[in-house]
Amino acid sequence: MNTTRTLLASAATLAGVALLAGCAMGGGPSAGPVVLDPDAKLEGEITVWSWDVAATALDRLGAEFEAEHPGTTVNVVDVGYDNAYDKLSVGLQAGSGLPDVVTIETDRAPGYINEFPTGLVDLDPVLGEAEADFDPFKWAAQSDADGALKVAPWDSGTVGLFYRTDYFEEAGIDPASISTWDDLVAAGEQIKAESGHTLLSLDVATGGGFQMLLQQQGQGLFDENGDITVNSPEAVEALTLLQTLNEKGLLKNVKGWDGRVTSAKDGDSAVTPEAVWWIGTLLGDAPELSGSYGVTELPAFEEGGVRTSNSGGSGLAVPAQAKNPQLAAAFVDFALADAGNQASMMENEGLFPSYLPALQGQYFAEPQEYFGGQPVYELFAEQTANIPAITFTTDNAEASDIVANAVVAAVLNGADPQQALDDAAQQIATATDREIAE
Amino acid sequence: MTATSALTSVNPEARGARESRPTGFRPALARGILRLPVYLLLAVASVFSVLPFLWMVIASTHSTPELFGTPLPVLPGDQLWENLARLQESVNFSQVMLNSLGIAVVYTVFSAVVSVMAGYGLATYRFRGRGVLLGVVLVTMMIPMQVLLVPLFQMMASAGWIDSYQAVILPFLANAFGIFLMRQSFLDFPVTLIEAARIDGAGELRTFYRIVLPVARPQLAALVIYTFISQWNAFIWPLLMLNTEDRYTVPVALNTMIGMSRVDYSGLMLGSLLATLPLMLLFLVFQKQFVSGLMGGAVKG
Repeated sequence: MNTTRTLLASAATLAGVALLAGCAMGGGPSAGPVVLDPDAKLEGEITVWSWDVAATALDRLGAEFEAEHPGTTVNVVDVGYDNAYDKLSVGLQAGSGLPDVVTIETDRAPGYINEFPTGLVDLDPVLGEAEADFDPFKWAAQSDADGALKVAPWDSGTVGLFYRTDYFEEAGIDPASISTWDDLVAAGEQIKAESGHTLLSLDVATGGGFQMLLQQQGQGLFDENGDITVNSPEAVEALTLLQTLNEKGLLKNVKGWDGRVTSAKDGDSAVTPEAVWWIGTLLGDAPELSGSYGVTELPAFEEGGVRTSNSGGSGLAVPAQAKNPQLAAAFVDFALADAGNQASMMENEGLFPSYLPALQGQYFAEPQEYFGGQPVYELFAEQTANIPAITFTTDNAEASDIVANAVVAAVLNGADPQQALDDAAQQIATATDREIAE
Repeated sequence: MTATSALTSVNPEARGARESRPTGFRPALARGILRLPVYLLLAVASVFSVLPFLWMVIASTHSTPELFGTPLPVLPGDQLWENLARLQESVNFSQVMLNSLGIAVVYTVFSAVVSVMAGYGLATYRFRGRGVLLGVVLVTMMIPMQVLLVPLFQMMASAGWIDSYQAVILPFLANAFGIFLMRQSFLDFPVTLIEAARIDGAGELRTFYRIVLPVARPQLAALVIYTFISQWNAFIWPLLMLNTEDRYTVPVALNTMIGMSRVDYSGLMLGSLLATLPLMLLFLVFQKQFVSGLMGGAVKG
């Protein structure tokens, strides 16, 4: 009788200790940074979170990876594009619950890298050698302040100018003759006069492409010292351009991505300055416009200036809490730093590579039926290495909102661009304690 | 006694109202004409409230590119089966509906039991710290969900429950709103009835189940509908907990259809439409309970 009770008591104590130990293990973030060993033996299992066609692509490559490395398993889960960031933020905050590989967009990467300095594994030991082969903007934007790569560049958001061949023909304009934004504005007036179509559609409330125009000129919202640059001469020029477009009746203000798709279908967008992934949107949602679109380089601000920018794109990261970071990094390397695999994702899933050697592939030179036989990918491939690198800070999200207000004030309410941007810079300075660049 | 007097104090008014209703032709016509503007207003209002639902029906029978066209389609299209097939293929919709249904039913049943019992206890029994306990329950309503996410997530992670249904259901079983709602409804319950049941020899559970609960049916019905809808629509917590596509709930699965450069609106609309059907069914079933007499059945025999 007595022994039974003692046994029970000790069993209860043991259970209690085990429970406590379990809590301690699961609770806080793991101690010490994870350092990757490029020569580690690859075995075991990884789980990958992605979305949409990106998940399809990784699923396909996962099977090939398993075949190349017997004894490994790659599970790909489509967590949904809209869903992924809630899961990612809470998982990083909690220090648990995340898989071995996660997908993060380029726009969001700097935020996560700054917010969780130890949350993501430094991928340099595995991918560092390939740095020169990647889109330099992507690499910089997805590395931390010390230059450690935290999110491996995947697909690129290389920007080009989509235009309606039929409208240009009707107005008698040769798209090749358009090399600056001034040329495009003039062409837009002519198209409007001939056929009544507006030149382009933008969502002004979210900034209407202002940051894209800024990056085209090699500028972000902050410079490399972290000082505010939203009222620089380049920024004023970009905002003045948007204001001019509106004043001349060439701009249609629409709501979000949905509005821009509708506008493209309705013929209210003679041109669409957008990233290469817009092709996927057109093919899917505007199949009836096949044969009436062409692509040319983005017009420059000055003759001979940069003729592309970046909009979107994404990358792969390995959370520090990953159960199998070695295998995770090896898979990221396999999928992204490989010309054949990156090119296959272009061919099968329409993900445009940021790995430059992949752009040499035969596929990019092929004529595209939707664009009347124009080999449009060739143009994007040529421009990808030209995307200007810009600096991101922890305050980019906040600054973006303030700048969007300035864009609304200038474009829709007619405020002076210089004044609107000076005000915005002042607001950002107050909100973030940063200096305004000279 | 109290109950009977309550009944007699309510009924005469109702009877009087019924008798004073005009029966002649002229007054009825006059009233009808007087009410015409009211009916017109209501008709317009109902059009507005039905319109979004109607659009959901129309949109779910067209292909997504058609939904981006101008003018917007106003008549149903012929893409319903295609959309349904795509919905099933892309998010395994039938499985996801079953998941949602299972989670919502289990949650509703257990949460209702907790709410009813806790509410009854807080309303009927006098014990030390009752006020404080009620205060603590109510304070939990004021903690925003965002604050709870990370600690709760860590708890579930250390329990090894991530990607399981119990992690979706258990943390929110004790629902402060439900407890409060039931407490309020039991507060009005005449203590003399409980005393009468005790004198007749009924135990606590029997008194609760046979005497008190039947009276609270309208409130219980409201609670069930509210709880079911809140769990059926729950998004952020199931999203954080469930990591396997085949275990998703409907809102989580539908959200995965919002892609990076494309949104499958027609599939999304069809999914949302199908997801509202169980709610409508639930409401129809419990509607009777809502309108059934408040004290009906309380003083039988």
